[in-house]
Amino acid sequence: MESTPPEEVYVDEFDPKEHQGCYIFTLDGEEDRPTKHRKTKGKQRATEKAVVEEEKCPFPVLLDGKETESTIKLRYRTYCKLWEAQEKRTKAILDSFNSKTLDDVSTFVKDATPEKYEGKIPTALVLAGPNIASHELLFEQLAQRIRSQDRTGPVVVLTSKDATNLKTILRKLIRDATQQDEGVDDEEEDIVRKSTKLLNYDLQILQIWCELHKGQKVTVAVQDSEAFDSGILSDLISLFISYLDRIPFVLLIGIATSVEIFHDKLPKSTIRLMRGNKFDVERAEECLAQIFNDSMTSDEAVLRLGASVCDFLLERYRDHTQSIQAFVAALKYAYMSHFYANPLSIILGFIDNTDGLGEVLSTEHVEAIRNVPSFRRYVEGKMAAKEVGEVRKLLTDDNYVRRAIAERIPESRNYGIELGQALTFLEIGRSCTLIQNNAPRYELYSKALSGELQTSPSVREFLMSLKRMNSTTLLNLLEKVMQEIQTPAITEPLRPLQEKIKKLVEEAEASGGKKNLISEFDITNNTLRGTAVSKKVRLGEQKSSLTKQDTEYSALVQQVYTIAESYLTTNFNSSQHGLQNVLLHEVFFYDLRSPHSAVFAPKPRSTIERGLSQPQDYLACSCCTSADGDEVGIRGTQPPASIIYRLYLESGALINIYDLWSAFYSVIAGEEEEFDVPTAQALFYRSLAEMRFLGFVKHTKKKTDHIAKLAWKGI
Amino acid sequence: MTDEMLPTELLTTMNEQFPCRAPQIRRLAALVGTDETPSPPAIVLHGLEATGKTTILRTFMDSVNASYTAGVTENVGGGDAGRAGDVCALGVRLSGVLSGVERKHFLVLDRVDRTREGSSVLFAALGRLGEMIPILTVIFILSVPKPRLLSSAEPPHIHFAPYTKEESIKILSKYVRRIPFQDIEEYTQKDAKEELYVWQKFCGTVWDSLAKGTARGVVQFRAIVDEMWEPFVKPIAEGEYGTRNYSSLYLLHKDMFRRETNVIDVVVPVGAGEKAVTKIHDLPYYSKFLLCAAYLASYNPARQDAVFFMKNNDFGRKKRRGGTTGSTKRTAKNRKIHRRLLGPQAFPLERLQAIFAAILPHRMSSSADIQTQIATLTSLRLLTKASATDVLEAGAKWRVNAGWDYIRHVARSVKFDIEDFVAE
Repeated sequence: MESTPPEEVYVDEFDPKEHQGCYIFTLDGEEDRPTKHRKTKGKQRATEKAVVEEEKCPFPVLLDGKETESTIKLRYRTYCKLWEAQEKRTKAILDSFNSKTLDDVSTFVKDATPEKYEGKIPTALVLAGPNIASHELLFEQLAQRIRSQDRTGPVVVLTSKDATNLKTILRKLIRDATQQDEGVDDEEEDIVRKSTKLLNYDLQILQIWCELHKGQKVTVAVQDSEAFDSGILSDLISLFISYLDRIPFVLLIGIATSVEIFHDKLPKSTIRLMRGNKFDVERAEECLAQIFNDSMTSDEAVLRLGASVCDFLLERYRDHTQSIQAFVAALKYAYMSHFYANPLSIILGFIDNTDGLGEVLSTEHVEAIRNVPSFRRYVEGKMAAKEVGEVRKLLTDDNYVRRAIAERIPESRNYGIELGQALTFLEIGRSCTLIQNNAPRYELYSKALSGELQTSPSVREFLMSLKRMNSTTLLNLLEKVMQEIQTPAITEPLRPLQEKIKKLVEEAEASGGKKNLISEFDITNNTLRGTAVSKKVRLGEQKSSLTKQDTEYSALVQQVYTIAESYLTTNFNSSQHGLQNVLLHEVFFYDLRSPHSAVFAPKPRSTIERGLSQPQDYLACSCCTSADGDEVGIRGTQPPASIIYRLYLESGALINIYDLWSAFYSVIAGEEEEFDVPTAQALFYRSLAEMRFLGFVKHTKKKTDHIAKLAWKGI
Repeated sequence: MTDEMLPTELLTTMNEQFPCRAPQIRRLAALVGTDETPSPPAIVLHGLEATGKTTILRTFMDSVNASYTAGVTENVGGGDAGRAGDVCALGVRLSGVLSGVERKHFLVLDRVDRTREGSSVLFAALGRLGEMIPILTVIFILSVPKPRLLSSAEPPHIHFAPYTKEESIKILSKYVRRIPFQDIEEYTQKDAKEELYVWQKFCGTVWDSLAKGTARGVVQFRAIVDEMWEPFVKPIAEGEYGTRNYSSLYLLHKDMFRRETNVIDVVVPVGAGEKAVTKIHDLPYYSKFLLCAAYLASYNPARQDAVFFMKNNDFGRKKRRGGTTGSTKRTAKNRKIHRRLLGPQAFPLERLQAIFAAILPHRMSSSADIQTQIATLTSLRLLTKASATDVLEAGAKWRVNAGWDYIRHVARSVKFDIEDFVAE
């Protein structure tokens, strides 16, 4: 009755957050946050102050805030559209990738009976490689396949997370196995009725289920055998063998390391209970190659990665992650950050049809285009060619620029496609020769972009061995090239040659029965052949070891060689056909390395260490650097945590607190005679607590009044 | 204990079926007896794996038509006891069921010592069941008897001793495998005799060379003999060797007895998976170095780290003194157990990272990816946490969980000479 008025009095002062253990602290004037500046390629500064949140468009306004709302949305839509297409293709590759392993394992499960394996548990060891992230997908696919396609019975995927103890894992096994099919209700009841007296981890429940479902196998997949507790795993297996005559178990075991390590992990008596086969998953590199080729060198790819990002991603893949998923994530991030920060990226939306591009490009856009380095180079090229009128129009007439861009877009896009085709050609060529180190396309790609490929040995080696090729290999190569490559630049001149060589081989076959024509450049074969041929050919013709067809063939090989050489050199020539000369390559190729390294491979430790040991880098204060820019020693004016850290770096593994305190006091007091000791102590305690919080020190019982040093700098 | 309780012919057939187990069968016969004679409340059968405990008991029980209930107590919660809730309930139920029965009843509990949750009280209570119900005898089968397992006056034990070499061969002689002769018209008595001769000789050789140390159980022994038999007698089958020159046949196959492929237990039999080209799944480059660093951190003493990993003023040159001639003389006197045999020691993460930085062939600024890889190695159980504290705790200790052979293989694949850094 009287309770309401007082509450209303306090309502203004009451802050609900005061009674919460944890909340987000917001400053009162949060709207006045300083605006962040972002650098874009065209050297424009764009503010992300007002993020447009309508229509779920999270992209910022670029072009100095002058970008119109429709183009922002267009940018976002283009991103969504292009990434969706790319993701779809990537997913298709990932799905199809494991198909062989899936086939093998599903056949194994179908055929598996304990009788076939000497009364032991039929076991498939799936060697899935060290990339743990892909295991879940693989086992998901396996389970799906066995469950719905093969219909051999329930599949239970067990992970180490479930394996806290034997009872938990049995409970999960039984629950998953018995509830997988949408069984008829009375059946369920039957099981329930029969198993009421059983505990829910008793395998008899599963046995009852198996009696009701004759002919069903229970497939148990252990996804991460390494992480499993070996005791639990061997207990589980010994339980399976005791029930094997009543429950037909099939075991799938995922191994990330090697079979030997798996054998070492389990007791011999357990290993004796299993018998089966091992299945290798395709190597992750092959999957990477497929995804890379699809996203970088195929015709469908729209946005491609530049050399430095590409190097970064591949290096990270090879040296750190070996994870396809991480690569795809990085690819997505590249798409996102390209459209996020580059206002010109809307051009990619008009790649198939340039209608309407002119209307979309505003004056600011055109100005941005003029600022792009490749446009400048284009104009300078025109200037050098003395096309002054053209240059004037490009620099002054906005509409002319719009038209010119629309005209030149297909050409710029074709650059990527042609480069991809040339790389495909090179890869096919190299795979047909006996070159040992067959570098995949993804390793050649970044070299080609940076113009290194032109002079690289990979091209030279290929051309040399092309010259020496015999007709079988060459026809094989040409056949593959015709299948894989659509560029007329290479297929058109090669097609008649292919026909001619075929004809020659047929002729040779008809006349002498010789199927394999050799090239005159092939020195090794030459001498060998000399005797072999001489038996077939008449004695008089021994003078030349080459037959007439061989000579003709050699001439054709020379032609093929010339075509291939000119094709490869024009495509990989950096001065004439390099990426730098492609108009608006900044739009078609994403080549910013720093966002990726900051997002995917941050360096938290060195950042903290730098912040503590060189606070002037962040504070930019005048006191911490001397006049000529050299850094100075420990100063009292630096932040207390930083002073402690510097002293900490100088000390040994055990630090005497009193020594540290006196050193700290002398630094912070500086020349001042009477520095307030309680203040200094408060600062000292706080900084030491901060150090402890950051994990640099901890209490130790080894020595009284000491703390232990835990981290060294620069590791 | 006389044989009168049992028809002699049964004893003979049993002895024929199970050679070398005559005393055990006799004792069992005496204890089980007939329905008229009393039996002790509990009997314990013990002996190692594959000594015929269960088989003999079962055959015996079947042949004397004794009424018995067998339960394998290897289930969680302990077989029958779990079903009936607890031992008391089991007792009540049994006494209820057996109240009107005239004959003796035996409750056989097989592999009772492998019960997962059995306490000593459980065994004691089970042992007392026989005292509570006069016509019930509980038979325990276990591998190693423990004193006071049943906490009662010692019940009679029957020991099933492991088979000796002669006994094993004798048993195996019951299962002589045929020599798959190529051109044989009919199988004569003489052939069988020859086969037996070769088989026994062969069993003896296998026992002496391989099975003695690795497979003493008769089942394992038979598995090995089975596996090696076919290739061994192939020359005889093809007519190249006679049955009587065993020693030259042995010399021909000498290598077979030296290799241990048949003794090592594997899931995938050798030969089945060989056809497929083995693809090697590789760890990432830096993961390999991390693994090597972890191995060094686990097996090198921390105070020698400075000797191995300190860099000279010369860039990149490492002092390699540790394992060379200088120090061996000094340590020779009080040389202790090889460090590799002592098992991996725990180390703090900081030390791993420091060694990692030291053994890398080039400078690399540490990024979050390195931490990710440490986490991956942990989930692959190549690294394991050795202290009970939280993973993020600064003092958390770790140890490597991979053997020297694997590490050496890994180190070679990144061209890292790990031998130079391992302390002797």
